[in-house]
Amino acid sequence: MAYGRTRNRKIFLIFLVPAIAVLFLTTIYPMIYAGYLSFRSYDLAKPFVPRVFVGWANYREILTSSEFMHTLIVTFKLMVITLSVQLVLGVGIGVLTAQRLPGMALVRTLLLIPMMISPVIVGLIWLFLYFPELGYLNYFLSLVSISAVPWITSTTWAIWAIAIADIWQWTPFVMMGTAAAIHSLSPEPYEAAMIDGNSRWQIFWHVTIPQIKPVLISLMFLRAIDAFKLYDIIFVLTKGGPGDATEVLSMFIYRQSFTFWRMGVGAAASFVSLAIVVVLITFFFKSLNRSQERI
Amino acid sequence: MLKPATSEKLLCTVLIAIALAVFLVPIFIVAVSSVKPTPIMFQKPPSFVFEPTADHYINLFTARPFAKFIWNSLLVACGSTAFSLTFGTLAAYAISRIRHRRIKDLAFWILSMRMFPPIAVIVPYYILFKTAGILDTPLALIIVYSTVNIPLTTWLMKGFFDEVPAALEEAAAVDGHGLLATFFWITLPLVAPGLAVSAVFCFIFSWNEFIFALMLTGSEAQTATVAVMSFWSSDAVQWGRIMAGSFIIVIPGVVFVLTCQRWLVRGLTMGSVR
Repeated sequence: MAYGRTRNRKIFLIFLVPAIAVLFLTTIYPMIYAGYLSFRSYDLAKPFVPRVFVGWANYREILTSSEFMHTLIVTFKLMVITLSVQLVLGVGIGVLTAQRLPGMALVRTLLLIPMMISPVIVGLIWLFLYFPELGYLNYFLSLVSISAVPWITSTTWAIWAIAIADIWQWTPFVMMGTAAAIHSLSPEPYEAAMIDGNSRWQIFWHVTIPQIKPVLISLMFLRAIDAFKLYDIIFVLTKGGPGDATEVLSMFIYRQSFTFWRMGVGAAASFVSLAIVVVLITFFFKSLNRSQERI
Repeated sequence: MLKPATSEKLLCTVLIAIALAVFLVPIFIVAVSSVKPTPIMFQKPPSFVFEPTADHYINLFTARPFAKFIWNSLLVACGSTAFSLTFGTLAAYAISRIRHRRIKDLAFWILSMRMFPPIAVIVPYYILFKTAGILDTPLALIIVYSTVNIPLTTWLMKGFFDEVPAALEEAAAVDGHGLLATFFWITLPLVAPGLAVSAVFCFIFSWNEFIFALMLTGSEAQTATVAVMSFWSSDAVQWGRIMAGSFIIVIPGVVFVLTCQRWLVRGLTMGSVR
């Protein structure tokens, strides 16, 4: 393009500015504001206490409190449970449904539905199934002679109740990614492996898995970031309880800010969570770069 | 690829049937329960043969102004979609065409904006919108949802723009068309499927969102998800209304899956999978 190169560049910049400006206003500004709050004593329950600069006091308070450490442990426990189950089930179903058989495309499509449902509705659906005394799930389990499980009322089971709802919603995501990745593979390595007389299991483990690994890693980081934000399902099912059995980081922030009205402490916890997410996002981008280079 | 034996084929079919049952039965239960009379709602074994009732839907729309809440949801979803699609598409085109070594960093920065935990920024939003006097209006939610929808649109559309052959735009330039004319009359029509998919993703996200809507709206701009949740209280859970409302909220997502599945993979994996 010989003509007007600098003019084009100007137009490109004009195209970019609105999006960046909006994102600055709606994301960077609130984050700076949260950062500002995190260094202040900002207690809405005590309106007459002056809102002064308190340095690192809010951070020191949460980082030394056993309650906050407990929420971090619960958050990561939930993340490990949901991610590992989703990975195994998702790859399994993905491999099954990736076969080029009649009707399989429809099966893949139908399995995507849970992902498109509002998380709060997913919570309500599972609340209906888990509901003490009334829910269908324990009835279904009793048909296969499993005794009633106190899903949302017991401190041991509540985290599993949440995990199951999240696994139900997001296993299709891993399935979909696996099936799509398998479809993009070239047939040559398979032909070679078959000529060498390998079993189907060997081929799956030594040919398929290594080839789709980069995609799986990207998918898992996306899931990790989402698992970290998981909120709606917990809000509906347990509200962090019983006791503090399912109090994840986002629930802790919610409680500090809107139950105890300690905005400064809530903001400090928000920043800790932002820092963790930044680390996850960095890893995700690295893996995304790597998987795109392969394509 | 591989020719499975008959017994393996049978096993496959059984496993796939189980997967379909596990992932679809809960949705089926919502649909059935939304028309089930309250006395037999929790009857066991669950009955599937009964005279369907419209009571739950009637109650849903008369007990609270649910039609208004659906309208609010639609307003917010359409507003946010229009807003984010415009800005996101323009930014995506620029990112796709600018040749600069830092442009990839900018694209990643934009994408990262949609990944931060919403709860971390709710307090600043609340204070900001209160000062601006737009708390409890659809506008507040339209602005907030753009933080997710603009990055999504930018990232998706960049992929579509990358695939438009450069020769087409160069030919238009040789013919004497300016960049803007080329963009609007040649490139945009070519990426129409991308625009449609981005629009649907923006719409579904906004339609489904709960926590921002809960914290930033009151009785005026309340959306459908928040309204359905309000039928849940510790003393009396009105399951009939909850199921009816849930079913209504589920519908757009299901329609989307059944009509656009081809493009879903790309949108959901942020380009990890093509």
